[in-house]
Amino acid sequence: MGTPVRILSVGAAAPDLRLPVSQITAGWGRPGGRGRVALCGADEDALTLAAEAGTRAIAAAGLDAAAIDGLWWGTSTPPFADGPSHAVLAATLGLGGHSGGALLSGSAHSGMEALLAAADAVAGGAALVAVVVVSDSLLAGLGTTFEHRAGAGAAAVVLGTEGGAASLGARVTRSAPLLDRYRGAGDTATRDLYDARLFREEIFLPLLLEVSHHLAPFDVTHWSLPDPDGRLGAVLTKTLDAPAAVSASVYGALGDTGAAAALLGAVPAFDAAGTVALVAYGGGRSTGVCITVDGPIPGAAGFAATIANGRDVTYTDALRSRGQLVPAGEQIPMGVPPESAMFVRGAEEMLELLGARCVECGVVNTPPSIHPACIGCGADKFEQVSLARRGTVHTFVINQTMPAPFVAPLPIAVIDLEDGARVMLQVIGRGDGLAIGSDVELVLRRYAYERAVPVYGFKARPLSTDIGSAEE
Amino acid sequence: MAWNRVAVVGAALIKFGELFEQSYEQMASGAFQAALGAVDKGMDRSQIEAAFVATQRGTLWGQEGIGGNTIPSAIGISGVACTRIENACPSGSDAFRVGAMAVASGVYDVVLVIGVEKMRDKSTEEGLLSRAAAGHPIYTRGETAPVLFAPFATRHMHEFGTTREMLASVAVKNHYNGARDPYAHFRNEITIDDVLASPPVCTPLHLLDCCPQTDGAAATLLVNAERAHEFTDDPVYVAGFGVATDHPYLHEKSSFTGLFATTLAAERAYKMAGIEPAQIDCAEVHDCFTITEILDIEDLGFVEKGKGGIASLDGETSLTGRIPINTSGGLLAKGHPIGATGVAQITECWWQLRGAAEERQVAIRNGYALQHNVGGRGSGVSVVNILTTNR
Repeated sequence: MGTPVRILSVGAAAPDLRLPVSQITAGWGRPGGRGRVALCGADEDALTLAAEAGTRAIAAAGLDAAAIDGLWWGTSTPPFADGPSHAVLAATLGLGGHSGGALLSGSAHSGMEALLAAADAVAGGAALVAVVVVSDSLLAGLGTTFEHRAGAGAAAVVLGTEGGAASLGARVTRSAPLLDRYRGAGDTATRDLYDARLFREEIFLPLLLEVSHHLAPFDVTHWSLPDPDGRLGAVLTKTLDAPAAVSASVYGALGDTGAAAALLGAVPAFDAAGTVALVAYGGGRSTGVCITVDGPIPGAAGFAATIANGRDVTYTDALRSRGQLVPAGEQIPMGVPPESAMFVRGAEEMLELLGARCVECGVVNTPPSIHPACIGCGADKFEQVSLARRGTVHTFVINQTMPAPFVAPLPIAVIDLEDGARVMLQVIGRGDGLAIGSDVELVLRRYAYERAVPVYGFKARPLSTDIGSAEE
Repeated sequence: MAWNRVAVVGAALIKFGELFEQSYEQMASGAFQAALGAVDKGMDRSQIEAAFVATQRGTLWGQEGIGGNTIPSAIGISGVACTRIENACPSGSDAFRVGAMAVASGVYDVVLVIGVEKMRDKSTEEGLLSRAAAGHPIYTRGETAPVLFAPFATRHMHEFGTTREMLASVAVKNHYNGARDPYAHFRNEITIDDVLASPPVCTPLHLLDCCPQTDGAAATLLVNAERAHEFTDDPVYVAGFGVATDHPYLHEKSSFTGLFATTLAAERAYKMAGIEPAQIDCAEVHDCFTITEILDIEDLGFVEKGKGGIASLDGETSLTGRIPINTSGGLLAKGHPIGATGVAQITECWWQLRGAAEERQVAIRNGYALQHNVGGRGSGVSVVNILTTNR
């Protein structure tokens, strides 16, 4: 072993929406269905979830993003099959143009691959500080058994060589070239299992039991175990003769979070001393790693609240959010295409929420690229600043009449930020309870998806109202 | 002393509405012929030396290659010096101002100002709502036209206690006036309850708080004041005008209870005309939304800041009120074919000052009428023209 790898902090994020399983079964004309799964709204994806979890972990570590040497991101649902997924996430986390790291993708096992690749980079001295983000927004094929499990979520940890409250320990990995839940190269959604019994008896259990047994001797106090169908997790736990997996509560709140599952499922155990065994599975591979927790990991408190918030929606809402129910006819295209020079000039300032603070009078001009002269005094010397992420609503509207691809109701607010800047941004949610004076925080969301390019920017999320409390 | 170097000797508009059966060119010709016909002593089209055309959209509305040369050819004066003026919603009023300056410069003695707009060749979705995807991909995404004014309503209600009923009273008054205007798009009287019950468009604005999409055209004929007597014994003079700009993004506004561009443009116009707001007998102001008229009457100095809602509800701006506003029915009822709007407002002022407004005629005590538009990205440009019979 090289340099010890310490976990400095943790962060997590869950999407805005929840889909009750009873809605799914009713959508197919069947009764019953228990529990709910997390669902990305039309403006969320694996990257926006990753951005939120990563931002929280970096803040909990008390670090400047510039101190981070690399980003390791594991997801089976990156926004581009081949494109700047990693570069966009690195930019919005504030890592700057020098960051190293990697995007690990290809199955739900990618999350664990990202964690271990980052750990190895730190252990080997290639990085002093690394941020690991694991996220997924699973899309199950319509009518497949996985529809009842496919969920979404993200977790992130900051790794370093010293300090922190936990360390990575023993690991074991096994690989078998066998099919589990899979999505072909041209598919948008996961295909169904061919034979559930075959999967359970010959593919899943043998591999998972072997990996789990190798970790069992390490005085494991908590287990985070894969549970792709809502039953296999319990079977594993029973066979290991272990207490209920700590990951069960996360699966119960969010469903299967794919590449995020192993780490996200362990977070409930990060608030006290213990030894947590994380087991990941996907793409025929399974890897387990032990994390020794010395004390509460910064950022772990409040995790239960993070995953509990979410607004229940109907099956039809879900189909629209996931882009599986699309109106026929023309959509209004963006005035300036996302591949254009405008986006080259504007990429950094949109992803990092930059403003130009006038050196003469202090007014913040947003965005910088279209303000060669200060709107306050006309001077032309500025200091680039990343705007505050908290503020209050100065005034707002709720737009009820929108053409496709927009979705009404669409709240838009003029926000006074804590640093004195002012912006106008879309507001997450339906605008219920939004008022002049409402406190908001700014989070990354996907504003548009056009010509296969996601356009990301910040939106306001109300803090004073609990969006997820009422069932719709 | 007022400027008064230019006289308006003819003004007219065609009936506004969804004119599917008329082309852009046919609408323009209708307005032009009517304006020529409105000149007391007559004018021949060969006397026109220059033309200024106000059309805001043009090519985006299915018209191929709208430019300065489209209109002269269409209305029988091809060869005439012509420029297309575009300044957002104030395009018509700005074309009027530019036309007046052209006459005052001494280069042209007789000038046509014509506003034409074809909005209904495209669907509501493609033509109007597509604005939501134009502009900045983040900072103006979702910004349809109501988003430019609705946040002012929210703030005005918060600071001054303005209510939805007060907003609605503006629409009720303007529909009442429009019912008495044969050129109006909408001629139905409505009630406050009708407005409150209409479908929400952009909170707090509902459907009847919003102006319609309208096709239309209007034209005015301007001549050097020294030659006005050749065309009429009752000229109306351009007493003054003002134009002002403000920042184009809503997050840059210094206030959400008034439109700075209007206040500054009005200040300039009153100064040039040498008068105070109280001397205005009636005004055609920009009521693209009910809240906008409330802001306008405060910004133009007719009503104390914050009292615009109460004044409207109390009838101060009705045909028989202290300061009649939008006797034509305004943009809300008469309609808002963007480029034509300002020129049509001038026409109403011209009729009022000459005692020709028929059922809508108000008492003219001082001989001054004001015309105003505000619009553009973030309501960042306003034009005010003041007309007078006094010389």
